[in-house]
Amino acid sequence: MGTRILTVEDDERIRTAVKMALEDEGWDVDEAETGEDAIGSFQRNPSDVVLIDIMLPGMDGFEVCRSIRRASDVPIVMVTARADTHDVVAGLEAGADDYLTKPFAPKELSARIRALLRRARSGDPAVSHLSFGDLEIVPEEGMVLKEGEEVHLTKTEFRLLVELASSPGRVFSREVLLERVWGYGYFGDGRLVDVHIRRLRTKIEQDPANPRHVVTVRGLGYKLQT
Amino acid sequence: MTASARFRTRPRVGLRARITISFALGALLLSLLLASTTLSITRDNLLTERESEAVTRTAENATAIKGTISAEDFDGAAQLGALRTPASPVLIVDTQTGTENYSLDTRLGADALDHSLQEAVELDGIAAKMRYEHDGSPLLAVGIPLPEQEASYFEITDLSEIESDLESLGITLIGAAAITTLAGAALGSWASRRALRPLSDISAAAEAIAQGRLETRLDSADDAELEPLVSSFNEMVSALEHRIRRDARFASDVSHELRSPLMTLSASVDVLNNRRDELPDEASQMALDLLVKDVERFNQLVEDLLEISRFDAGAHRLEQSPVNIIETVRAAVEASATDAVPVDYDPSLRDTVFLCDKRRVVRVLANFLDNAQKYAGGATRVTAERGPDQTILIAVEDAGAGVPDDEKERIFDRFSRGEMGGTRQADRGVGLGLALASEHAHLMGGRVWAEDRPNGECGARFVFEMPVHAPEAQDVPMEPIT
Repeated sequence: MGTRILTVEDDERIRTAVKMALEDEGWDVDEAETGEDAIGSFQRNPSDVVLIDIMLPGMDGFEVCRSIRRASDVPIVMVTARADTHDVVAGLEAGADDYLTKPFAPKELSARIRALLRRARSGDPAVSHLSFGDLEIVPEEGMVLKEGEEVHLTKTEFRLLVELASSPGRVFSREVLLERVWGYGYFGDGRLVDVHIRRLRTKIEQDPANPRHVVTVRGLGYKLQT
Repeated sequence: MTASARFRTRPRVGLRARITISFALGALLLSLLLASTTLSITRDNLLTERESEAVTRTAENATAIKGTISAEDFDGAAQLGALRTPASPVLIVDTQTGTENYSLDTRLGADALDHSLQEAVELDGIAAKMRYEHDGSPLLAVGIPLPEQEASYFEITDLSEIESDLESLGITLIGAAAITTLAGAALGSWASRRALRPLSDISAAAEAIAQGRLETRLDSADDAELEPLVSSFNEMVSALEHRIRRDARFASDVSHELRSPLMTLSASVDVLNNRRDELPDEASQMALDLLVKDVERFNQLVEDLLEISRFDAGAHRLEQSPVNIIETVRAAVEASATDAVPVDYDPSLRDTVFLCDKRRVVRVLANFLDNAQKYAGGATRVTAERGPDQTILIAVEDAGAGVPDDEKERIFDRFSRGEMGGTRQADRGVGLGLALASEHAHLMGGRVWAEDRPNGECGARFVFEMPVHAPEAQDVPMEPIT
């Protein structure tokens, strides 16, 4: 069975255009006009990637994102009208893995989706079992344990943690993390990293406001404390 | 009447200067009038007083000397010397042989008498007085005929003293007039400043509005005469603000509305383009190529319009983070330039991290590179160096035709392509790039400008000056970017 992509968009023309472009890449596309439809469709037939427009009638994109995220770690891309508003951060905090700004070129969308699919499917055999105090990472199984109990991470959060764990104690700049985790070049949006680090901390830290594992090196980036 | 009708202005002398000058002239005129009146009244008074004194005294002395003339041993000089007078007495006595003149003062003797006065006294036998000039001195002479003794008695008073008194009075008055004039000018200047203060308030407000602070309003005036001006000014600004915001919103709305059809277009064209080889003939392929290119241009235009309308709406915010400028410049050049462009930089910048908005730095540089690509055959060199006062200068040089002096500012206007951009070519942009670069630079507290390429080489150099601050960095080695 091929890759399924769910696109949630109320503008019919854009939905059709996106569907057309994605089908041209060889993917199967499910369409949903409202958030409620999208959640129903996802429950019936889980997708490999979900594309959510923030501006939806009724239930908004953030709510759809949160709802799907509660049930699944499927990669989610938010579509926003503007990159410089609070929408981007709010979307990422609602659980999105990446975002796109309208108008986007269909090629850009396909590139983002391919990057997400790669992340979702790749295990990382380069790093073996690691443990940092109460934290254990088992890359082969895609598993993270906090005090012996499994912590549920999305694929992106997991990739981010493994990346940091590949050189414990070393500072990774946002640019490096954007490139290695998201596949962006030098010009990715640093907020992607910041919000994902925040989400990661709420899951693996005892006190997210006072992190012990993933620490910020002011002015430079992030590192995993050994 | 054209739409840009302007009120008639008089640019030569400012209103304040004119009020000051008027006050000064008024004061001068008034004080001169006062001075000359004072002078002439004083002069008349002094002279009249001196004259009446002289007349009384001369009459008394004439009577005194009258009795002595007939005496045998008459000694004129001695008799004259015995008289009490501050003036110069002259006695003329007729004798058989002619006339005998007696006087005490060699300068003011009989020679100093005016002939008409002398004739009036001697021939007509009447007492007379006269003011005249002799040897450059103003004189007053009073003559009394002594018919019984066949003599005439005169007294000559030198009025030079009065004239010099009047002269010093005149100088004092002129000094006073000068001071009054200055005081008038000062008063005028003060009054004009006070009177024009509402105007300078308005001018300050207008300047603030011109700089984009559209919420600027004038405080309501206490003065009932000024209130209509203030309220109509404020109404005008409100109308202007409303219009500007409406225009900005319109541009933004239009761009937003354009996005949906544009995405449909993009997606459709992409699907077609993926099947380009399946198209039946060359004409269809050419048509598709045209479409692909113009949809891309259209996309860029809408993106630029959206960005610039966000500037107009004041919705832009800086997103600062620690940035290695040299890496950013290199990455931007790699991403934007079609050919390899050398990047020359100050070596001290290589490992330095500054706090700035990376996306905007890249946008400025990308727009410069894009401009060089479209109008000058591509950039030849990109430089990054330290500028004055904690700034970084990033410059893009090209070997094109250069920018004429009168275009150097205008090319940063929206949709302005300058002389060299006058012809619309297929792959040329829409003229928003440099305007956007300028907006980004201003938001970062910097500026952009165009200049000639240094060392007299042909071509232009577009410079971005950016103020920078060092972040509070800790001494931790950074992962090199691979």
